[in-house]
Amino acid sequence: MRKRLMALCLAVVMVMGILAGCGSDKDNGKTNDGKDKNAETVNKLTVWCWDPAFNINAMNVAADIYKKDHPDFEMEVVEISSADIIQKLSTSTSAGNTADVLPDIILFDDGLIAQEVLSYPDVFMDLTDSGIDFSEFSEGKVAASVVDGKNYGVPFDSGAAIAAYRVDILKEAGYTIEDLTDITWSEFIKIGKDVKQKTGKALLNGQSGYNQITVMLTSCGGSYFDEDGKLNMSDNKKVKRVSELYLEMLEAGVFQEETGWDTYIGNLNNGNVAGAMNGCWIMSSIQAAADQSGLWAITNVPKVDGVDGATNYSSQGGSTWTITTECDNPELAIDFFKSTFAGSKEFYDKILETSAISTWIPAGESETYQQESEFFGGQKVYATIVDFTAKIPSCVMGAYMGTARTAHMTAVTNVAYSGADLDEELAAAEETVAFEMGQ
Amino acid sequence: MIMKISMKKRQNLTGWAVLTPAVILIVVMNFVPLFRAFLMSFQTGRTGKMTFAGITNYTRVLQDSRAADALKITVEYVVVTVPVIIALALIMAVLLNDPRLKLKGIYRTCIFVPAAVSMVASAVIFRSLFAADGFVNSILVGLGILQNGYNFLGHPTSARIILMIVRVWKMLGYQMIFFLAGLQSIDSGIYEAAKIDGATSLQQFFKITVPMLKPTMVFAFVMSINAAIQVYDESVNLTNGGPGNATMPIAHYIYNTAFAGVPNFGYACALSMIILVVVGTITLIQMKVGDRRE
Amino acid sequence: MNKTKYWIGRGIKNIILIICSLFCVFPLVWVLIASTNASVDIVRGVLVPGKHLLENLKSIVEHYDLLGASWNTIKYSAVTTIASIIVCSVAGYGFEVYHDKWKDRLFGALMITMMIPFVSTMLPIYQTYAKLGLLNTTLGFILPSVSTVFTIMLFRQNSRSFPKDIIEAARIDGETELGIFFKMYVPTMKATYAAAATITFMNAWNNYMWARLIMSDNRAQTLPMLISNMTTGHYIDYGMLMLAVLISTLPTLIVFFALQRSFVEGMTGAVKG
Repeated sequence: MRKRLMALCLAVVMVMGILAGCGSDKDNGKTNDGKDKNAETVNKLTVWCWDPAFNINAMNVAADIYKKDHPDFEMEVVEISSADIIQKLSTSTSAGNTADVLPDIILFDDGLIAQEVLSYPDVFMDLTDSGIDFSEFSEGKVAASVVDGKNYGVPFDSGAAIAAYRVDILKEAGYTIEDLTDITWSEFIKIGKDVKQKTGKALLNGQSGYNQITVMLTSCGGSYFDEDGKLNMSDNKKVKRVSELYLEMLEAGVFQEETGWDTYIGNLNNGNVAGAMNGCWIMSSIQAAADQSGLWAITNVPKVDGVDGATNYSSQGGSTWTITTECDNPELAIDFFKSTFAGSKEFYDKILETSAISTWIPAGESETYQQESEFFGGQKVYATIVDFTAKIPSCVMGAYMGTARTAHMTAVTNVAYSGADLDEELAAAEETVAFEMGQ
Repeated sequence: MIMKISMKKRQNLTGWAVLTPAVILIVVMNFVPLFRAFLMSFQTGRTGKMTFAGITNYTRVLQDSRAADALKITVEYVVVTVPVIIALALIMAVLLNDPRLKLKGIYRTCIFVPAAVSMVASAVIFRSLFAADGFVNSILVGLGILQNGYNFLGHPTSARIILMIVRVWKMLGYQMIFFLAGLQSIDSGIYEAAKIDGATSLQQFFKITVPMLKPTMVFAFVMSINAAIQVYDESVNLTNGGPGNATMPIAHYIYNTAFAGVPNFGYACALSMIILVVVGTITLIQMKVGDRRE
Repeated sequence: MNKTKYWIGRGIKNIILIICSLFCVFPLVWVLIASTNASVDIVRGVLVPGKHLLENLKSIVEHYDLLGASWNTIKYSAVTTIASIIVCSVAGYGFEVYHDKWKDRLFGALMITMMIPFVSTMLPIYQTYAKLGLLNTTLGFILPSVSTVFTIMLFRQNSRSFPKDIIEAARIDGETELGIFFKMYVPTMKATYAAAATITFMNAWNNYMWARLIMSDNRAQTLPMLISNMTTGHYIDYGMLMLAVLISTLPTLIVFFALQRSFVEGMTGAVKG
């Protein structure tokens, strides 16, 4: 009888094994192809990025172009959110299995790249001497992926900030796009209040104030860290002024906070707000509402009045490709970038329709960039943005940039909704960031 | 006699043998990782290069104002949702237990539906429903209650309330099934006898139903409090803790500490150990209280 | 007089139930309507069924590997459920039918697992998986949820109503322990199996946080991961998204609907102290 029992146990284990095994073996096999160390499959690159209509599309277009001269080349793009990429970096470095998990190429938001390179120093490949000509990219853009004087990224799309407005709604309130060009935030808020009163619509919305505050802070060259990397939030004129302006805007209903990315885009598309201010990539979201063609126009962002170094230009987002040290064929990856993202006008022309605006200077000189956009009422939007890109002030980045931004946002939220004191909240935010930095 | 002992022994061994796979799995998947997390709670540094740090992670907890806030949010969440869910579930179960009630299956399925919707999907649904121009606001504006859409998820208090509503929505069905099952094991003869004695429905509920369901209720309380304290996927998916940190319960804070921004896993482990102790203590107290009255 | 009172009572009862049912079911009805509309109409709050269902389906199939993700989700959930009810029913049977002091104590010790926050064990499990090559595998997905104290308890408590003298009688008749389990226990415990299967299936089907941690391969994606990916792009196609939500929810609803009677019955044992 004991034998039978043993048999039963064995049977259970086997059933589990078979059930699980049939799936897992197959999965395993497939996982391995992506990361195979054999010479045969070394023609393949695996990429992590997240937006099918934007960066995934760009990667696929680049792959098609590269395939023309390299017929054996293969590319696998994995759709994975930015938050998941960060989680996977954390887990795989902790488990020591970066070789099995990480792909050859990862895309990062410009605001995160320094943080990730500093947090995981051995994961990203130093591209300084790779032969990619970084001087052909706009300077401010390249700076986002330079850590300790070394280049860690191949710049992709521009994050140059634009202010896009619904001309029809502005007209209803008696304004034109010129009235919102080259203005200060104080003027902007005045107009915003008027528009709100006349049309009931907010001028802007956003997924909390996260992107908005970055746009504002960057436009005056502000940061949470000084040049030596020292944290300063509580005694920081720019941070304080930006917070005050943002709070005033929120209070007056000129800016509408949304909880999720989905509702942000949703409200934008259904005409519930009169404008959008973000990195220029937001154009692809705006243009999704095809029925609003001709109703939009873009201009530069307002200037933060009352602080030094204020400009009408800023950046938010934009992204940069990195190559991981787990890449089995770095020569291939570098050659791929040289022939596409860092060397092909054809490529940038092809992806322009998705509003992916190049930071590779030669691409901006292309004819395609001079085209007029029907959606934006015949404006030469791409050329305008290329012009904006060159004027973005540079800011100090740090490993705890993301943490500091979140803390700043929390402070502002507390002031806005719980009536807390701004100075106290900024001091508390500084403490929070210092607490995390002191781990 | 000898035969019988050996038979007993054999049966006993059989018993152990059939338990083994399940027990091994539980140990390997729960206790071993827990022990490793415990060890890591004394370490600090970047993941992959952690060094021993003594009890610094634990002393750190005491200075962490965000952990304190998160704990407060968690307590509020538990104190509100658990009784509401249990009370509502009990009422629904009693109503559905009426043998003369028609369409029972349909009501039961309707109330259970939310439990079948994944959290990711629920988050999408509720974010859309409560968006500034979403369905709820359209109705409120349409009825003239509000002049303009209110950004429910953008304000701390209303966002917290919505998180609670989502919890009630999702858990009500599960809890109701528990109570229904409990009610069905009560002998209907008792109710008949009470009716003959002239007891009203309300009296029947408090004098018969509640006492008879006590073991179920203790169990339900323990389970739902445990689950509510450990909640993180609801806030991660629905509000991502915002606005600010207004909807970030402690388990979500731990999750962020471990996996988002600049990860600090040692500290996350120390926080988890504290939750474990808190949950354990609450469970023990409940079990003791539940036992005593029996 | 008494009759009107009775009817009023019933009316109130039904009204309460209808309100509660609407509260629970409304969001899903809204999804159902939304999935037939175009994205623009959904954000505009259109509440009547549209004609966009097929286009929405086409967009999903074009942009995402819907079949692959569905197959993965079905596979992971089915394997978890089958493995779990085998392992846990055998264990629950063992804990009750062969129970003694030590087994009861062991069970008590296992109850501690309910208090362990999953966030704290996620990383250690991940580290072990990395060493054993379990990432991106079905086995890796199912292991943490195969053996749970809750399911074992469900079987253990329900086994109490399984008459012990029948077991004794069968033993005297020369029936083997295995025979008793399969020929007598399994058929009488159908409801418990249904309850355990429903709960395990639903939990596995909707498990997102775990899947997102251990899966990094396109081919290992699940439906919740697919939905999550749909909400991060520069443009969100709500019609497509809502249809995906609907598709991901239907199977669990069907499982519940099919098993609901046995489900309630099967839970009965679990709550009997």
